[in-house]
Amino acid sequence: MERSVDTIQADARRTHEMAVADSNATEDGGNAGRVTLESVTKYYGEVPAVDRVSMQIEAGEFVSLLGPSGAGKSSLLRIIGGFERPEAGKVYLGTEDITHIPPHKRHVNTVFQHYALFPHMTVGENVVYGLRQDKVPRPQRGPRVREALEMVQMLDLADRKPSELSGGQQQRVALARALIKQPKVLLLDEPLGALDLKLRQQMQIELKRLHREFGITFVYVTHDQGEALAMSDRIAVMRDGGVEQIAEREELYDRPGNSFVADFVGSQNFFEGVARRGGHELVTEAGVVLKGDRATGDIEEGATVRAGVRPEHVVLEPSEGAGGVNRLEGVVREIVHSGDSLEFVVRLESGRDIFSRIPRVQSPNFERGTRVVATWSVSRLTIFHR
Amino acid sequence: MKRLKQSGNASPGWVLSAPAFLWWSFFFLLPVLAIVYFSLADKGGYAAEQAVLFNDLDLDNYANSLTGPFFAVFLITMRTAIVGTLTALLVGFPVAYTVATAVRRKWQPVLLFLLILPFWTSFLLRTFAWRIILAPEGPLSMFLQTVGVLSSPLGILDTQAAVQLGIIYNYLPLSVFPIYAALDRIDPRTREASIDLGAGRIRTFIEITLPLAAPGIAGAAMLIFVLAAGDYVNPAILGGAQGLLVGQLIAIQILASQNLPLGAAMAVVLIALLGMVALTVWLLVLAVKRAMKWVWDPGVHADRKVLTERGSHA
Repeated sequence: MERSVDTIQADARRTHEMAVADSNATEDGGNAGRVTLESVTKYYGEVPAVDRVSMQIEAGEFVSLLGPSGAGKSSLLRIIGGFERPEAGKVYLGTEDITHIPPHKRHVNTVFQHYALFPHMTVGENVVYGLRQDKVPRPQRGPRVREALEMVQMLDLADRKPSELSGGQQQRVALARALIKQPKVLLLDEPLGALDLKLRQQMQIELKRLHREFGITFVYVTHDQGEALAMSDRIAVMRDGGVEQIAEREELYDRPGNSFVADFVGSQNFFEGVARRGGHELVTEAGVVLKGDRATGDIEEGATVRAGVRPEHVVLEPSEGAGGVNRLEGVVREIVHSGDSLEFVVRLESGRDIFSRIPRVQSPNFERGTRVVATWSVSRLTIFHR
Repeated sequence: MKRLKQSGNASPGWVLSAPAFLWWSFFFLLPVLAIVYFSLADKGGYAAEQAVLFNDLDLDNYANSLTGPFFAVFLITMRTAIVGTLTALLVGFPVAYTVATAVRRKWQPVLLFLLILPFWTSFLLRTFAWRIILAPEGPLSMFLQTVGVLSSPLGILDTQAAVQLGIIYNYLPLSVFPIYAALDRIDPRTREASIDLGAGRIRTFIEITLPLAAPGIAGAAMLIFVLAAGDYVNPAILGGAQGLLVGQLIAIQILASQNLPLGAAMAVVLIALLGMVALTVWLLVLAVKRAMKWVWDPGVHADRKVLTERGSHA
């Protein structure tokens, strides 16, 4: 109820705003930071870089575009930023159609890959750049630059040149430079790609904090699923220019819409076979029957399909109690330590490998060569349509 | 860009630079000093052993160089070199900019190669070819008369205009290459970042592209200016009697008039004039930089000062 009242008020305000031809994020009540994409398409030559993408990103949301390189996520971001014109489709910011508005007139700012700081200007000169373009009077610039630099803990280095800064520091300057413009939407193009792991994790927390404090929409491009899972409210998984699935992170992880998403977000043990019983059973070539509670989409009886189970859901047992549902016998071939967990590679009788990830504190005392049974509960297996 | 730190066992810099330094001293510094010394002497007789008289050193040759028709040639030379440099930069920059920003990466070397292709033929030959093009009964003259732009044959050959044209033509590639190299090193995302932050294309060009390309532009300007000011071939081939430049004047003093001291004085004046122009340009650049600093000022420190003052009063 409250929401609809809000919307009406926001609409009224927006009408007023359009009349005075000035829209400012802080004055708009609700949806000024909402990004709506309608069937957006962009071709590079014959190949679609972005293929009929439609989605709505709510104001204040943190949405990640996740996918392998060449999936079209950066192109999509550049379309929202205005650096690429889509061949078809529309882009809305709030209710305004911004498809043909040039980048310097959009209330959207970008943190570029490799930061793109101005090398001939100091940190302070970089940060004030956007204010100067907006013709902010001189006396007001200083306090705002200081505030922006304080926010990213860079005030003490205001007189340094970008070349005198570390990657992490340059990253902070790029953030301050974009955020000082008080955009309605902040676009981030793999901003942490060049940083080492520790710094990346630290910056993830920092970005989350900035997102909370500013309350504006963040659209974040990454190929790192861990990064996307760590920060996003929702994640759009992209492949070949299209969106495979857009969902909240738990949803995406627990109920992936197809086998690509399941494999790209986290990892999967896949089995190929023929579907039975309305997609709740899969029979492999070797005649092994696997059962799963969940099927994606309608699956025809007898269709060739894939089933997947995550390594952390695969439990290893001593091989005595063989037989039963979702129980496969094999031999431990390799044990990989990864800090707090162990990954067992089990060679099944069919000749394939299955991975089982077990927290170290719970890990059984199996050694290489031990005969084991790999098993999982029916609720953990998903059968994917093709 | 990080510089490699000198490792412990590497030779100190001066050992490595010693050969270059010695070479430079012997073949450049000493001859220049010799020229300065000669410029103070007097012209002797025509016999080789007494061509230069060193018994009475004075500045008469400088007085001669800096007055009358000789000095006029100096001024014309400076004007020709400055106009040539500016024109080469103005024509060369758009070419370099287009190649660096609007042409696909794989085609860029091809275009640059095509640009220098004419320069595979000899400098002398290329310059001489202009005599045919510019001749009063040459193709350009005929064309302009047929079209009706000119009513009489083209009278440009053997004038200062022809020299100016030749200098621009011959030194144009020297502007394209350094500027291209500088523009090519600019991350295209910095331009996008500028537009993203609200600057239009022109503002982006003035505030981002131009300052970042400045070293390349300065390098090109210096190179062309120095070469054009000392140019000998263009005035000799295209200038005739009217298109005399200093380079040629010096050659005449030394080779034809056998007045080595006057020629030497003119050479020293030329060096001094080049230095003065370079100094003026450098001061101009400094002034522009200071102005830019003021425009770019984030105002961080001005405010900090005010704050501490307020703090101390409270």
